Amino acid sequence: MILEGVQQAFNLLFSLDREMYTIILLSLAISLLATISAGFLGIISGILISISSFRGKRFIKKCIFTLMGVPPVVLGLLVLLILAGPFSNLNLLFTRTAMYIAQTLLVYPIITGNIIISSEKTQQQILETATTLGASKKDKLILLLYETKPFILLSLILGFSRAISEVGAVMLVGGNIRGETRVMTTYIALNTSMGNYAASIAMGIILLFLAFLIHSLVSRFRGDFYD
Amino acid sequence: MIKLEHVSTPYPDFSIVFPNVVFPKNKVTFVTGRNGVGKTSLLKAIAKLIPYEGVIEYTGFATYHFQEPILFNRSVFDNIIYPLKIRKLAVSDYQDNLYAYAKILGIDQLLQRSAKELSSGEKMKVSMLRSILFSPTILLLDEPTTHLDLESIEQLTELIRVLKKDMTLIIVSHNKAFINSLQDFNYHLGGSHVYR
Repeated sequence: MILEGVQQAFNLLFSLDREMYTIILLSLAISLLATISAGFLGIISGILISISSFRGKRFIKKCIFTLMGVPPVVLGLLVLLILAGPFSNLNLLFTRTAMYIAQTLLVYPIITGNIIISSEKTQQQILETATTLGASKKDKLILLLYETKPFILLSLILGFSRAISEVGAVMLVGGNIRGETRVMTTYIALNTSMGNYAASIAMGIILLFLAFLIHSLVSRFRGDFYD
Repeated sequence: MIKLEHVSTPYPDFSIVFPNVVFPKNKVTFVTGRNGVGKTSLLKAIAKLIPYEGVIEYTGFATYHFQEPILFNRSVFDNIIYPLKIRKLAVSDYQDNLYAYAKILGIDQLLQRSAKELSSGEKMKVSMLRSILFSPTILLLDEPTTHLDLESIEQLTELIRVLKKDMTLIIVSHNKAFINSLQDFNYHLGGSHVYR
């Protein structure tokens, strides 16, 4: 059955089915936008948290690390309740914007947490070295952004992976509406529940291929200087 | 000249108290003593990298060279000129010194290489050149011979003899031959820890 499904999947892939390609583009667009937004906020806050000393730093780090593992469906429920409650007048529920908001909130702690974890030690050594060479605060920040580039890119990859593979939150706040809010993961979930395995396998193959392609592209720029 | 008066470096559970001392200008002073007496703390306090109590007086800029130096993710040349760039100094004004020092250290052939491709000893030499090129008045070296072979130690010794004309050097080292070949003064730390 699996082989038959794979064969049907390839037929579907090369049939240039419009709905399928709309779903792929929507998935990519929302996940990329969410990763860029969360990345912008996460890179700045991750670096600031790791280089600063302030009261409550440990507590904030614990909160971020906890949120890194939050179940997407729980976050989706939270966004749904907010959009259906206090912000119901904005009419955002079951829209692409709601999916973007949910994914951004899901990805933000992953990017921030990974930047804090992976670069804290390196940052300290870089900052101390820059201080001995007479660097100003601005020089240090520029240097830090440049030197932590591998960790930043790694965090962005992890964030994007989480966004594009996520199903629970986007299903809850997007509603899986055909032609509107249906993305690759919700398409797979729907077709699997209907017994339409060929379509699910086809979308699964595309999802894996896209993830592989993006990881390969980013790792070319990441380098492994501090490994 | 560097003058220390009633200097101590506080840590969470104890403080290291240093005797009053004057490090003479344009001389090489070796700081010796057993492990844990505070040799590195002393250098870092002078470089203002760690908090201290008391008075540390000197004029100019003191740069501290780490025992395990970090090079930035760029070419050897770009690493070396980093202090010039942040000071907005023209690299051309320092080019002669750069090549002369690189030749003494035997790294003149490495300038275009990526820093990540270097061995530990080569990284140590590149980092050393980066620390001195912008002409700091005080150079604080923490175990500079750690990753160096005998030939490299001789190259470093030669470089320090050149630098001594314009810089005050304080060096922490356990290498007796290296100490004997360069030492003008010795500052032996017995270790005075005050526990809370």
